[in-house]
Amino acid sequence: MKNLKLILALSLALVAFVLPQRAAASSSDDAEGGFSPKEIIFEHLGDGYGWEVPFDHHHRIPLPVMVWADNGTFHCFSSSHIDNHALYIDGDYAWQVPAEGPNKGKVVRILPDGTEQKPAFDMSVTKNVCALWIAVLVTLAVCLPVARWHKKHGFLAPRGFVGAVESLMEFIYKGVIKPTLGEDSRKFAPYLLTVFMFIFLMNLLGLIVVFPGGANLTGNIAVTLVLSLITFFCTNLFARKHYWKEIFWPDVPMFLKCPIPIMQVIELFGALTKPASLTVRLFANMMGGHMIVIVLTLIIFIMADFGAAATGMATVVSVFFSIFMLLLDVLVSFIQAFVFTMLSTTFIGMAREKGHDEHHAHSPATN
Amino acid sequence: MELFTPDFGLIFWMFVAFAVLFLLLWKFAWPAIMKGVDSRAELIDKGVLYAREAKEQLDSAKEQAEKFEAEARSRQADILREADKMKSQIIEQARTEASREAKKEMEAAKAAIEQARKEARQSFRDEVSAAALEIATQVVRNQLADPKAQQKLVDNILDQIETAD
Repeated sequence: MKNLKLILALSLALVAFVLPQRAAASSSDDAEGGFSPKEIIFEHLGDGYGWEVPFDHHHRIPLPVMVWADNGTFHCFSSSHIDNHALYIDGDYAWQVPAEGPNKGKVVRILPDGTEQKPAFDMSVTKNVCALWIAVLVTLAVCLPVARWHKKHGFLAPRGFVGAVESLMEFIYKGVIKPTLGEDSRKFAPYLLTVFMFIFLMNLLGLIVVFPGGANLTGNIAVTLVLSLITFFCTNLFARKHYWKEIFWPDVPMFLKCPIPIMQVIELFGALTKPASLTVRLFANMMGGHMIVIVLTLIIFIMADFGAAATGMATVVSVFFSIFMLLLDVLVSFIQAFVFTMLSTTFIGMAREKGHDEHHAHSPATN
Repeated sequence: MELFTPDFGLIFWMFVAFAVLFLLLWKFAWPAIMKGVDSRAELIDKGVLYAREAKEQLDSAKEQAEKFEAEARSRQADILREADKMKSQIIEQARTEASREAKKEMEAAKAAIEQARKEARQSFRDEVSAAALEIATQVVRNQLADPKAQQKLVDNILDQIETAD
């Protein structure tokens, strides 16, 4: 009860504080063409040149833009030149990030006649790329101490942070990888554990609002696509004979596979949908989580048009639900990393399965 | 929608970043961690097995000890019983020996008493006969002098004998 009173008092104080500002700001908003939630949501979910600084919409942390122009020349410049859709003229080349049109949000070359020309390759270190490398460093900083502990102390159980990380790894290694892959676990565990730790830490970094985090990495389809493609290649390159037999000559009645290859088409389609489902599952879950938090925050500003009382109520509700959703996203971060790892393990495990006849032929040798 | 079209630059960087991370962890982290985790699990399993075996051994040792103890106890009881028997036997033997000895002694004593009595009787008889003879001689000597005095003499002698006895 005491806490509730405190929250109410704080929210009322917030209302009193926000009201005059809103009144002052509404006129400028109207001048800029209104408040557009969709714009803000996609800006926050998407990638960008430069990294936003909290409480400042005009300055960004500059990051290098690296592009190959259509004629093969390489250009590298600071993203601070093209902030806020500014035109950057670099000798004969002019670069800009258009605010509208098909190339919206991407750096393009502005030809002398004013048309936009997409660069051949855009290898810019964008916000997501920078966050990616931060995530790599964080993952290394989290995982290497565990290895060092094991090299130094042997079989002693680690304590503290190293112990927590190790228990997480052991949970995946013993709970997911070993029961599924059995004797192959030593071979595939490095990849699967890397995937788990990397996704988990990327998810968590995405939940931190300011600089080192805040990039919506696993909610970006390119990132999840690469991860699931690696799993796809792992599955198919290390597959045993039985896996291919199941695809091209499964144990079904002859009419289902011989004149018209119905089953083969279904199986091939199934093999291809596995990475697609992996991609979309992680991407959609993480992006959804981010989007819900942003929308909940935006409710405050949407409700601002309906007066002070509405804004105040919306603030309370929004803060409460945002915190709830962020906490839920911490759980989702773990669950999605776990699910991705578990499904990758299952796919690889299915591909490594020995057929019945093959199993019998090998059993005297392996036993 | 921009969100659903993967960006080529990001795909490239993601691949590079993941490859770098994977290679580094593959080389420096996972082998040590997996080996550590596996060996620790093995060690714990072994420890549990060892403890179980040790407990079994301890239990069997306890059982054995109990068996030994029971055996020793029964042996002790046997020995005690034996000793008791022997004791009573010895006592019995001693008793019979003693009674025999006592009998013998008693008989010897009886014989001695008999002998003594015989001797006493003999000596008494001798004395009495001697006294009688003396009396007789005195009586005979004084026979003619005074019958009264004779009577008195006889009484005196008899009194003497009586007091002497």
